[in-house]
Amino acid sequence: MSNEFLSIEDLHIHYITQEGTVKAVNGIDLKLNKGETLGLVGETGAGKTTTALGILRLIPNPPGKIMDGKIILEGRNLLELSEEEMRKIRGKKVSMIFQDPMTSLNPVMTVGEQIAEVIEIHEDVNKEEAKEKAKEMLELVGISGGRAGDYPHQFSGGMKQRVVIAIALACSPELLIADEPTTALDVTIQAQVLDLMQGLKKEFNTAMILITHDLGVVAEACDKVAIIYAGEIVEYADIESLFASPKHPYTQGLFASIPSLDEDVERLNPIKGLMPEPTDLPSGCRFHPRCPYAEAKCSEMDPKSVEVGAEHRVKCLIYSGEVSGKGIENE
Amino acid sequence: MSNNILEVKNLKKHFDTPKGTLHAVDGVDFTIEAGKTLGVVGESGCGKSTLGRVILHLLDSTSGEIIYDGENITKVDKKQFIDLRKEMQIIFQDPFSSLDPRMTVSEIIKEPLVIHGVTKDKNELDKRVSELMSTVGLVDRLVNAYPHELDGGRRQRIGIARALALNPKFIVADEPVSALDVSIQAQVLNLMQDLQQEFGLTYMFITHDLSVVKHISDEILVMYLGKMVEKAPAKELFANPLHPYTKALLSAIPTPSLTKKRERILLKGEIVSPIEPKPGCRFAPRCPYAEELCRTTEPEIEEVSLGHEIVCHFVKEINKL
Repeated sequence: MSNEFLSIEDLHIHYITQEGTVKAVNGIDLKLNKGETLGLVGETGAGKTTTALGILRLIPNPPGKIMDGKIILEGRNLLELSEEEMRKIRGKKVSMIFQDPMTSLNPVMTVGEQIAEVIEIHEDVNKEEAKEKAKEMLELVGISGGRAGDYPHQFSGGMKQRVVIAIALACSPELLIADEPTTALDVTIQAQVLDLMQGLKKEFNTAMILITHDLGVVAEACDKVAIIYAGEIVEYADIESLFASPKHPYTQGLFASIPSLDEDVERLNPIKGLMPEPTDLPSGCRFHPRCPYAEAKCSEMDPKSVEVGAEHRVKCLIYSGEVSGKGIENE
Repeated sequence: MSNNILEVKNLKKHFDTPKGTLHAVDGVDFTIEAGKTLGVVGESGCGKSTLGRVILHLLDSTSGEIIYDGENITKVDKKQFIDLRKEMQIIFQDPFSSLDPRMTVSEIIKEPLVIHGVTKDKNELDKRVSELMSTVGLVDRLVNAYPHELDGGRRQRIGIARALALNPKFIVADEPVSALDVSIQAQVLNLMQDLQQEFGLTYMFITHDLSVVKHISDEILVMYLGKMVEKAPAKELFANPLHPYTKALLSAIPTPSLTKKRERILLKGEIVSPIEPKPGCRFAPRCPYAEELCRTTEPEIEEVSLGHEIVCHFVKEINKL
């Protein structure tokens, strides 16, 4: 028996709208062990948040629908559970930190009540005990317990995000899904929050899925990385091999787009073109219209995931030998 | 004869609020050489956007002087203001809210040309719009599209085309790429650099993103709570940051590399309120080196090496200069 904690197999999520079917997630496979952090990296519309909401079965339906696949958490397929059972998992076993701390808190409840709420629902405690525990949680994320009676608007952005983290961690979840937890924050505050999350993760041995578009944050916080493009994982690797040698042309393009702090680059080398319309995805490899190495075959064949190293998989025809990939940097 | 297109002297902008006077910009001095880019960095609430707006007269200054192209423009009447608008333009942060949703691309780009009466000839207007669109890399078929039909990168290109319509010399770019994905961000940054070369533009580039500011700027001004804390040529600032705040700020950037790890300086606390600020150095409450002097007396600007200015009482001691 491995210590595999979460396993997602061939997940498909579509949004069925009047303008057509938006294929947001197209056959994602992921594995996560206890205590590990997986970075889910991609641009707007790549399907990162949809994947996260899918795990919690929070996809708004309609228009969203999980079409196919399995989400197995400790041997149980979450997609087969009843809504009642699912509710017991949310906030307890699996909890989520949402992107925007400004809108994910209830403005008319004190922060103490909001933390206590989740504790009361999931744990066998009375109101007073839940309140006490809420204060402890606030202290844990570096806010004085005396502020439990304050409302969200009385806190700054960084502190609100800590409150959101406190809510997410209140019932010691085994899996934490953090959707762009630091994107809305300033860098010095981001550093504080990342540091806090790292510390808490170690303390509780929580597994974490960290959704971000920032490869810098990934380098700080993750063990494994999945690069997602148009609803597919195009590259998956442990962090060392991904940063040492990114293989997929899209991953390489992402790295080339970021202005470097250590080297002086006169001009950036961005990926040409735009993300494809999710209602009208290109045939074959989804990335081929933007790929500098694309050949005719790329628009015809669906690339399969190929192993290019220990736990390093790439979905690109260059690595399955179908396409020459002339000029690609690949040592 | 200096080649400075813009000179700002002891510029202040205060807002009256129910809780007291908010010192958004509190005595900033700098110059920008024609054709160069000054990057202005700082965290939310440090006054960087207000600074840009005051220079463009979108907000009136409280005190201080703004000298543009040798002319004092601190106080201008309506006529001068309109003339000034042909020289100085702005690119806004959010390409979603800064475009009128009920105007087409062509109407948006045309508007400044019509307002300033550049030409009344309809064909000529259309020709100019089409020129501007190709300059910023928008295809002609989008001419009648509405902003909601376009993605963020294209919208930002419309904002840039609109800013360029009157052939300005000086552009304030207020977080022009912050709302964009990295691959699109890189495309827009390249476009802005090309335009600068082609038209000899001068930029004041306001951002909180330090890797972007390093990439695009010749000189960088770091702000904290309405005050300048450090100013230096871009390379010098990153190689040799001297102010404790700049050091912490640079160390906090997550770098996409595993081999080059920086030692992180974690700051305590958060930016304090800019309303009726306490005397002394604004950074003192968070500064690891702060002493009694910092809490009572405001530090002066000191030039430690050519073009590298810093505002800190203990710069020499901290950096062993």
